[in-house]
Amino acid sequence: MEKEPIDKILDLAEDLRWKIGDDFHDELTEGIYADAAEIVGDVTRSENSGGRSRLDTKIDRIVTSKTWGFPIMFLILAIVLWITIVGANYPSSMLSDLFLNTIRPFLKDLAVQINMPWWLSGFLIDGVYMAVAWVIAVMLPPMAIFFPLFTLLEDFGYLPRVAFNLDYLFKKSGAHGKQALTMSMGFGCNAAGVVATRIIDSPRERLIAIITNNFSLCNGRWPTQILIATVFLGAVVPQYLSGIVAVSAVIGIAVLGIAFMFFSSWLLSKTVLKGEVSTFNLELPPYRPPRFWKTIYTSIIDRTLIVLWRAIVFAAPAGAAIWLISNIDVGGQSIAGWMIDFFDPLGFLIGLNGVILLAYIVAIPANEIVIPTILMLTVMVTGVAAGEGAGVMFELDSANETAEILRAGGWTLLTAINLMLFSLLHNPCSTTIYTIYKETQSVKWTSIATLLPLILGFIVTFLVAQIWRIFIG
Amino acid sequence: MNYNPVTALAIFGILSVFLFLIFRPEKGGFWKWKKTSKDGGKTLIEDILKQMFHMEESGKIADIHMLRDTLKVNEGKLVYIISRMAANDLLNIERDRLILTKSGKEYALSIIRTHRLWEKYLAEKTGYDQREWHQRAEQMEHLLSREETENLAEKLGNPIYDPHGDPIPTSKGETADFNGVSLSRLPKGTKGRIIHLEDEPPHIYEQILKRNITIDSLIRVEENGKNRIVFYSEGEYFTLSPAVAENITVLVIKDDDFKDPGSFRLSRLKDKERAKVVSISKEMRGESRRRLLDLGFVKGTPIRVDLKSPIGNTKAYLVKGTSIALREDQASKILVKKEKI
Repeated sequence: MEKEPIDKILDLAEDLRWKIGDDFHDELTEGIYADAAEIVGDVTRSENSGGRSRLDTKIDRIVTSKTWGFPIMFLILAIVLWITIVGANYPSSMLSDLFLNTIRPFLKDLAVQINMPWWLSGFLIDGVYMAVAWVIAVMLPPMAIFFPLFTLLEDFGYLPRVAFNLDYLFKKSGAHGKQALTMSMGFGCNAAGVVATRIIDSPRERLIAIITNNFSLCNGRWPTQILIATVFLGAVVPQYLSGIVAVSAVIGIAVLGIAFMFFSSWLLSKTVLKGEVSTFNLELPPYRPPRFWKTIYTSIIDRTLIVLWRAIVFAAPAGAAIWLISNIDVGGQSIAGWMIDFFDPLGFLIGLNGVILLAYIVAIPANEIVIPTILMLTVMVTGVAAGEGAGVMFELDSANETAEILRAGGWTLLTAINLMLFSLLHNPCSTTIYTIYKETQSVKWTSIATLLPLILGFIVTFLVAQIWRIFIG
Repeated sequence: MNYNPVTALAIFGILSVFLFLIFRPEKGGFWKWKKTSKDGGKTLIEDILKQMFHMEESGKIADIHMLRDTLKVNEGKLVYIISRMAANDLLNIERDRLILTKSGKEYALSIIRTHRLWEKYLAEKTGYDQREWHQRAEQMEHLLSREETENLAEKLGNPIYDPHGDPIPTSKGETADFNGVSLSRLPKGTKGRIIHLEDEPPHIYEQILKRNITIDSLIRVEENGKNRIVFYSEGEYFTLSPAVAENITVLVIKDDDFKDPGSFRLSRLKDKERAKVVSISKEMRGESRRRLLDLGFVKGTPIRVDLKSPIGNTKAYLVKGTSIALREDQASKILVKKEKI
């Protein structure tokens, strides 16, 4: 009995729904918006009606102009990176002096005094402690400089203009304009860049930004690039040119990374991540003076320390692994030795060597320890007198000494170039991989983000090696 | 190590060509294999039902040869499947003519419902390009269960039309009225509103998309000749071949409903010109539509060009004192009208 009137109402509702049509909701909402806007217009008065301040407009005309837009952008990026690299040098060397020359001997003495067996002190001090110390010394200063600088630019309002300038390129590669921001963030740290992709609201474009972030050369990799470029590329030209050649080589690698970022964004959006950009609207906020101290405080707490902590967590086991594989002998050779022999053929094929590949495997947790690990392993294999023994990472003060050791390890100009390429194109560090997993919650996308750059790295170094051998020898 | 880099390169080349052939998007052997291996006859049955339904709708009667040609399957398999369908009371075979039974029609409608709902879903909730909607819905219509379809409909607010303007059948099999006329049959001077853009065949749909013709636009036919059809819409003149115009459906409207034709697309707003927002096109959907409203793109808002990106067509527009960057295809979906000074 009760059912009948309800059914009638439902039928009526159904009937009316057809008559009203699909756009009813939209029209209603838009009506409300329009009415609200009208009321606001009637009852409020503002200083400069709807306009923007003259200064803002002037700045915008310059930073987005055809002539100056791009030069200004590159100049600012170059300045930020330069301040980071140069500024980090002093605190870095102070930290490493403290960690390696003061604390380490002290710990070693302590271990002897309390009669710690050699393997335990080796494992803990030469392995775990060294890796952690290295990561902090190399990583903390540049991040503590880069992130605040970056946040200041963000706060000032310049970064959205970068996204605006570059939008066309991102559109062409099927990505979101805001990826420009996460990309530049990646120059500081890929893990931070991956977290920053949260500003992209549509999931498809966000995935593209996450997967391609690794193509931004991060702080952990700049030192490798600079060292190798100075030692090998700078050495083949006359003295007065060497500085310029080394710098341009490093910048070239960074630009190549950007090119690969666009290329793989395009590739992804044509294959596994098909589709066009769903939403793109970017607010260009008014410029405002950055809140200096607050910015510095939050960027150090939010970005630097979190990333550093994760890196330390991952670096400790890596140090342990490095020490173990160099000190455990199986059948008359250390595990590291066996692995190097195993990787040598593959390494040779792509213009690298087994030592480098092994170093990249054990240094997955942190790119910072690649060069120290390579040096340590090279010394171990070749028997050159340097360093402090098996499993103890080290770096040399003089670039020439470094070059000599590496040459003794069979390095050529090709090895150096390919190492620079491989340093750009290889799997992200484990901190980044973990962050990608946390952000995407997907094993599939995490593996794609991990393997895509690695595969590209193998292909590129392989091609370069073959062409080099055919034409140069 | 002794090896020849040229050989290595050659091996690499052969390997990459091989992998490309297997994994090439859509045409690659791997995908083809994956597609056929999943097919247990269900897809084909449903495709036949859909095809027959569309034919009957347009007053044609299906036969085996026609189905063979449109669906591109071999005749032996088709005959077998059709006899199975007849046994299941989906269709009747009268000599060589095939006619849908009542349950066959219902089945076909439910497939069409799923297809159109999925297109609506893709349009509203995802970033897939319009060119992809059809192909994706074509696969999805065979995969969704009845329950999933109903859930989807509810989530989308029980829509009546799909993004192309086709009515979505209800779960009871009813469809909304659809009384448009093909653009190719409208005489000069007719005014109307575009209510449907046919997405098949793809090459004609591509033409429609390329011209940036959008659903819900008001139009006025300027010329209707043998070789071309010209119409005016949103500040521009569009010239089409009759074959393309055939696939555009227009609802004829009275002169009074043809609102001031002075409105045009925001993408055509020149520097220093001042305008007011008239409306946002229906093609701007879902999240992006709401976002635009939030940013202040509502009827009557003054708007002008603020900045141009150094490369490409992205422009920043000044709306309510804030500069907002939009890509060209988005700006083309906002209608504005010049402000009188």
